[in-house]
Amino acid sequence: MSADRETNQTMTDRDIALLLADAADEVEIGIAPYQAVIRGGRRRRARRWALATATALVIVGTSGGLALAGLRGGDGGEVTPAVTQRATQPSTPEERHVYTPQQTTLAAGIEQGETWYVTVDVWGAPRTEAEAAAQLRSMSSHHEEPWDRDNSSALVGKITYFVQRAVGTGEPELLMGDSVSPQDTMAGTDLKSGASTLDPKKTEGPQRVVVGQVAKTAQEVTCTWKDGSSTVARRVEAGADINSDEAAIRPAAGSLDNWFVCVGAAGTAYESAEVTK
Amino acid sequence: MGDREEARETRDDAFQSFVIGRWPRLMRTAFLLTGEQHAAEDLVQSTLEQTFVAWRKVGSADDPEAYVRRVMINAHARKHRRRLKEFLAPKDDSGLVREVADTGDRIAQAEDRSALLQALAQLPPRQREAVVLRYWEDLTETQTAQAMGCSVGAVKSNAAKGIAKLRAIPGLAEMVTHGGRK
Repeated sequence: MSADRETNQTMTDRDIALLLADAADEVEIGIAPYQAVIRGGRRRRARRWALATATALVIVGTSGGLALAGLRGGDGGEVTPAVTQRATQPSTPEERHVYTPQQTTLAAGIEQGETWYVTVDVWGAPRTEAEAAAQLRSMSSHHEEPWDRDNSSALVGKITYFVQRAVGTGEPELLMGDSVSPQDTMAGTDLKSGASTLDPKKTEGPQRVVVGQVAKTAQEVTCTWKDGSSTVARRVEAGADINSDEAAIRPAAGSLDNWFVCVGAAGTAYESAEVTK
Repeated sequence: MGDREEARETRDDAFQSFVIGRWPRLMRTAFLLTGEQHAAEDLVQSTLEQTFVAWRKVGSADDPEAYVRRVMINAHARKHRRRLKEFLAPKDDSGLVREVADTGDRIAQAEDRSALLQALAQLPPRQREAVVLRYWEDLTETQTAQAMGCSVGAVKSNAAKGIAKLRAIPGLAEMVTHGGRK
């Protein structure tokens, strides 16, 4: 266990190594939980949405899943639109918000005397691997991390967003996140949602807050709670007041879809959510 | 499809061998990093889950250990960046020192371990990582730098500061001076 040290502290260093080895032996090794590792690994691989505290994720498509705006050619390859918008798009990474996200507050309220917020950070799509690597570093400094955090090249060409919930002065908690191609817009009654608790100390508590993503055209989302009651979120314009008594669907800066938040009454929990108009 | 299925099964078998074979060592390293049994288990399991996701690439790499170390150190560092509460030091008899002290030597040995773990807990995370990787994992400075995602100079600095702080702790210094081993 000893390292090859070239200092005059050789004995001391070796002793420290021995002390560490001895201390390390104190841990109970147990049996490697192989099946649990596999289950956890599959979950990580399957979910592109990272749900740190939200435990219910629903993805509903209109006809055969989420609509992809990118066209497919006869050979299955993606067809580039004949007219690109490159000339009108911001050209620098800063203008495209590659290194600094655009943040929108989706909802806020007061729970047990503490103010809570749900926000979404939207990071612009990097165009090169160098931009993606720099974006990953910047995300890290914001305490945000994409699903495939060891592979910055996976961010190239993708918008990345993180939805967080903060309560009081506590650290924001990640509710969900994803990296998506700008062509992957939602349509019709497509809906992605995650439910979470409002109690920062009980991640297993009743899931009373539902956050979701819908098409720009969706006008109304109905959240249904386990006690049979429901909350209707209606579409509002960008910058509309955030009122905790009123659920809303609103745009978020940089996002190609709209977002909604529903909050259930104390004592109930999330059952379902769907686009109803 | 048959070939692909076979390749997948081979990969799964290799991953299972990897998990079972590396689990004890990873647990010990995680224990030194976190100072707590359950935190160590969580850290190793999380590390291996991430390794599973990337296993196709990692398993065929020359040095899968290096990847796993990097993941583990990142996870450990991230935990500190987010300032999550960590139970670093043994706080009561439900924690680290499980050995029943039935002789004076065994009591002294348990106290040595406790002192070392408490001393480690007092180090800033990067210094602790450098000390554990250099002196327990016995990595070179270059390997440690790769695992920590920093420069060799930063490893030298963190390891030197960490060791200096450990030496400055009276109980530990005395323990080191006298070997403290059986």
